[in-house]
Amino acid sequence: MTTAPIYEARNISKNYGSVVALQDVSLHVGAGEVLGLVGDNGAGKSTLVKVLSGVHAPEAGQLLLEGVVRQWDSPHDALELGVETLYQDAGLAPHLSVSANVFLGREVVKPGLLGKLGFLAQKDMDTRAHEGLERVGIAVPASKRSVTQLSGGQRQAVAIGRAVSWARKVLILDEPTNHLGARQAAEVLVAIRAAKAKGLGVILISHTLPHVLEVTDRIVVMRLGKVVADAPTSEFSADSLVKTITGVLDARSGG
Amino acid sequence: MDQTALLFLVLVAMVVVFTVINPIFFSSAVFANILQDWGPIVLMATAQTLVIVSGGIDLSVGAALGLSGVVSALAMRELTASGQSAWSAMLLGVLVAGAVGLAVGLVNGVLINRVKLVPFIATLCTMGAALGLSLVLTGGTPVAGGPAGSIQFSSKTYLGMFTVPIIVVTVIVVAAGLYLHKTRFGRWTYAIGSNQFAARGAGINVESHLYKIYALSGLLSGLAGMFVYLRLGSGSASSGVGQELSAIAAAVIGGTSLLGGVGRLAGTVIGAFIITGVLSGLIIIGVQANWQRVVIAALIAVAVGAQGLSNESLRAK
Ligand SMILES: Nc1ncnc2c1ncn2[C@@H]1O[C@H](COP(=O)(O)OP(=O)(O)O)[C@@H](O)[C@H]1O
Ligand SMILES: [Mg+2]
Repeated sequence: MTTAPIYEARNISKNYGSVVALQDVSLHVGAGEVLGLVGDNGAGKSTLVKVLSGVHAPEAGQLLLEGVVRQWDSPHDALELGVETLYQDAGLAPHLSVSANVFLGREVVKPGLLGKLGFLAQKDMDTRAHEGLERVGIAVPASKRSVTQLSGGQRQAVAIGRAVSWARKVLILDEPTNHLGARQAAEVLVAIRAAKAKGLGVILISHTLPHVLEVTDRIVVMRLGKVVADAPTSEFSADSLVKTITGVLDARSGG
Repeated sequence: MDQTALLFLVLVAMVVVFTVINPIFFSSAVFANILQDWGPIVLMATAQTLVIVSGGIDLSVGAALGLSGVVSALAMRELTASGQSAWSAMLLGVLVAGAVGLAVGLVNGVLINRVKLVPFIATLCTMGAALGLSLVLTGGTPVAGGPAGSIQFSSKTYLGMFTVPIIVVTVIVVAAGLYLHKTRFGRWTYAIGSNQFAARGAGINVESHLYKIYALSGLLSGLAGMFVYLRLGSGSASSGVGQELSAIAAAVIGGTSLLGGVGRLAGTVIGAFIITGVLSGLIIIGVQANWQRVVIAALIAVAVGAQGLSNESLRAK
């Protein structure tokens, strides 16, 4: 499929002190496209995600959202413009309720003066959080429950549901099916397809290669901070994908 | 059982025990005195609750109380000497005390956000600096000579025990409770204390929020400084020494977790009553006053220990 990129990273470099995490990385995702991003642990996937979402500023390179060069000063900027991210390691605020987590940073306030003072429309958020999660199609725990009372899988489901339901342009999922059982993982794949159908650009990071081969349109392989392959999913087999990740098979830099 | 109700029972039990040992405890005079002790403690404990819920700690509340007490005493003395009325002097005193407290809080914010000190160290530094500064300004002697009649004004009781400053403190604490539990500001405070990275990822400006929290903590401590001034009629550098211990104790007895993300202001309010009630009660039953800090320290240990045990029993379920 050939769509104009909705989100694009050009020549991104990022260091942590003396550790080079990303070196001249470029990738792009189109509207209505699912991009798989794979690579061994430490390849730089999560770092790239944090650059794309505004957590880290890159040392070099450009980000373009719908063709416009953007510089994120904080995740807030990216969220405002419709780039939604599920982080591998951030998770939820465990002491808050499910709905408080779904609406975190986007709280709905009461109408009128109370709202100006910042008073929360809690009931409204409880209802809407439940509806929102249900629409995503992921098994949802009750809105008012504290996240501490949820299982790892339930927490992950809430985090994914939040990202999917808020995403407007780009949805980035860093290892979303970790901690999930087979049925929940299948629900996540359904949610990804639904996001694609809505015209979002989706970036999926996963170690579960059968999922990646099943749900993505194109795959980018990273190794040691660099992109080593970028090709349509149809050009990969399970075997060649593993070999590209491990470096046995090199230089497939997408046609 | 509801935790706040449980705390209330502890408070009632405490009153019963002290009354049985010495019936004088159960009198409006003693209760009025406990309320006067409670005023500044609950202000600092409220500040402490906000800070601890956000995952930090503020050791500078007592020193901020002392510094704002002496600076506003100096300002009020100047104004009184220039022949201004007692009312305008007291108004100036409130403003100066609040501003000094706010300034201490902002310094904490800078040390935490810019210099990247952990809150414990940042506020330990400002605690030392604020105490030192108030000693420098006063040479260690209390600053009197403020508005005439301030003690009469602040000690006049209504219904046997309520003074104007106590009523003001109550209004402030209720407002802070609504702010913490019902508004977006409070929600973000819990979120940051619960998981700072998740809060950041959700687009919350954590640094700017922490500035507000430490500034508010300083402001409340500054107002506590004015409260103490009005009660004593002078500002003294030593008036806040060790008070951070009581403030932290009130918050943790009230159920605020030092790990962040957990706490209710109602609990802190009762915790502050328990602290001040126990201290008064010990004196009334004849325990030497020097034991006070030992008792407060023991109460903190018991409260934090109990939190740990109840967390474990939750996890075991
Ligand atoms: N906060 C950090 N500080 C220092 N080094 C880091 C940090 N985060 C990641 N790294 C390093 O950057 C490299 C890429 O890590 P990461 O992006 O997490 O890879 P992946 O998600 O592909 O497993 C690794 O060498 C890792 O050790
Ligand atoms: Mg990773």
